[in-house]
Amino acid sequence: MTTCVVGVGNALRGDDAAGLEVARLLDGTLPEGVRVVECEGEPVAILSAWEGCDRAYLVDATSSGREAGTVRRLSAHDGPLPPELQRASTHLLGVAEAVELARALGRLPERTIVYGIEGGSFDTGAPLSEEVRAAAAEVAASIRHELSERS
Amino acid sequence: MSSTRTIRTDYLARVEGEGGMLVRMRGDEVVDVRLRIYEPPRFFEAFLRGRQFTEAPDITARICGICPVAYQMSSCLAMESLAGVEVDGQLHALRRLLYCGEWIESHTLHVFMLHAPDFLGVPSAVELAKLDPALVETALRLKKIGNEVMRVVGGREVHPINVRVGGWYKTPSRADLEALVPDLEWAKQASQEAVRVTAGLDFPELEQDYEFVALDAGGEYPIDRGARLVTSRGLDFPISEFYDHVVEEHVEHSNALHARLRERGAYLVGPLARYALHRELLSPDALASAGEVGLEPVVRNPFRSIVVRAVELVHACDEALRLIAEYEEPPAPSIEVVPKAGLGHGASEAPRGALYHRYRLDDEGTILDAKIVPPTSQNLKMIEEDLDAFVRGHAGLDEDELRHRCEQAIRNYDPCISCATHFLTLDVERE
Repeated sequence: MTTCVVGVGNALRGDDAAGLEVARLLDGTLPEGVRVVECEGEPVAILSAWEGCDRAYLVDATSSGREAGTVRRLSAHDGPLPPELQRASTHLLGVAEAVELARALGRLPERTIVYGIEGGSFDTGAPLSEEVRAAAAEVAASIRHELSERS
Repeated sequence: MSSTRTIRTDYLARVEGEGGMLVRMRGDEVVDVRLRIYEPPRFFEAFLRGRQFTEAPDITARICGICPVAYQMSSCLAMESLAGVEVDGQLHALRRLLYCGEWIESHTLHVFMLHAPDFLGVPSAVELAKLDPALVETALRLKKIGNEVMRVVGGREVHPINVRVGGWYKTPSRADLEALVPDLEWAKQASQEAVRVTAGLDFPELEQDYEFVALDAGGEYPIDRGARLVTSRGLDFPISEFYDHVVEEHVEHSNALHARLRERGAYLVGPLARYALHRELLSPDALASAGEVGLEPVVRNPFRSIVVRAVELVHACDEALRLIAEYEEPPAPSIEVVPKAGLGHGASEAPRGALYHRYRLDDEGTILDAKIVPPTSQNLKMIEEDLDAFVRGHAGLDEDELRHRCEQAIRNYDPCISCATHFLTLDVERE
């Protein structure tokens, strides 16, 4: 089984970097052949990242009003992703749209798991908050665990 | 008394940045048309002050994630022209190649993902993927090829890091560039097909008597440089005289300035203007594509700009292939640029139209003053005039259809609102 972990985020916008942090924690620690990719969320980059994979983990920050650091685990195959994973932009598409685009094109890996980490502050230039740093470590551990169980 | 109706879209979709639209009518008469730009101002011109001339390309690139190369090129050209140096030969060829990558990426995004849904009756690229997956697959691959050209030449797909005043930090090898050829050949064919597909769409009726404005780059189709601006009504002036001919003004409903030609009014920059003014400089195959679908030499229906963008896609692929075929690794990645005090001007053709930069430097190369005039702010007044004319001619349409068509009329311009609102004149009056 070919697997890919895609961490999505903007390194310069506080807790928006949650997905990138998970990718960095996992990079070099996973079984051979598992790709770890950091990206800014552009759908073409996401679709390219998991090209040829039958399993993908997608990690992104969310902004839903829940407590900072709240982790949600969703299967992309259960239906469209919730609005907090859609990018608040009129032009750029986000993770949810990338998943829908992939679904429409038949390019969604057989098993696609999305982790959302609720952010507290998305201020420009801010570091990750403690809550999100802890949540990122928790998500990285979960993915590592899932991979050791199933590979 | 006739009733008043208001057609309003608060948040325009499929445009870059934050804007809305308001059309006010009394009966069938248009009372007011406003493209409301409420994206917050971004103050780029102000924070360039005090920075070194060498920093301008990387700072201004951040104005836009879709057309960063345009900002890099216009700012480099301004600094170099002031210093009295010209980046030419293969160093220039690489600039043009990088710019072709940006045109491919940007035009693909607009033609397929942002504009085509309007014509095919779907609300988004995701819905388009369900309706016509092959079309979206083509778009994704084309965009990826544009990205790849930018990565190989510019060091990164978005906001390239390899551009500097005087040339490059590192030039690619012949082998690096030759590896792009098979993909670019595929991209050219896909672009030729895009011309056929877009030419077959249904276009709403609207003919506008535009004054087209584009750079004149001598014997080449203007992309990465141009020393003069020319218009379809006979103006022809060096870019250093930009402000002798163009007035920028603040309008209440927009955080982006509106531009007009002095004593003439609104004008149009972008693919329609380049095509009208420089059609004969397109590559033979791009010209053949235009001919094959019967595209007239001057296109005045803004809805048909999607076809012209597709023709420019063919041209950008051809240019990229030509530049790669003729590439020889230059002896040094850059030439020396010694700053001089004075006013420097630079302009290039961003995918959306001419982008003008002007910088005042001191003799140590510190930026004292910066002016950046992006294509979208030059087109804003024309977009409003298009809306006005369109609504007058189609007042009988029902509300939803009229709103949809008005939004489409705005998207004809591929407006980049984020670019247009990088400035705001802030006047403080003290007693």
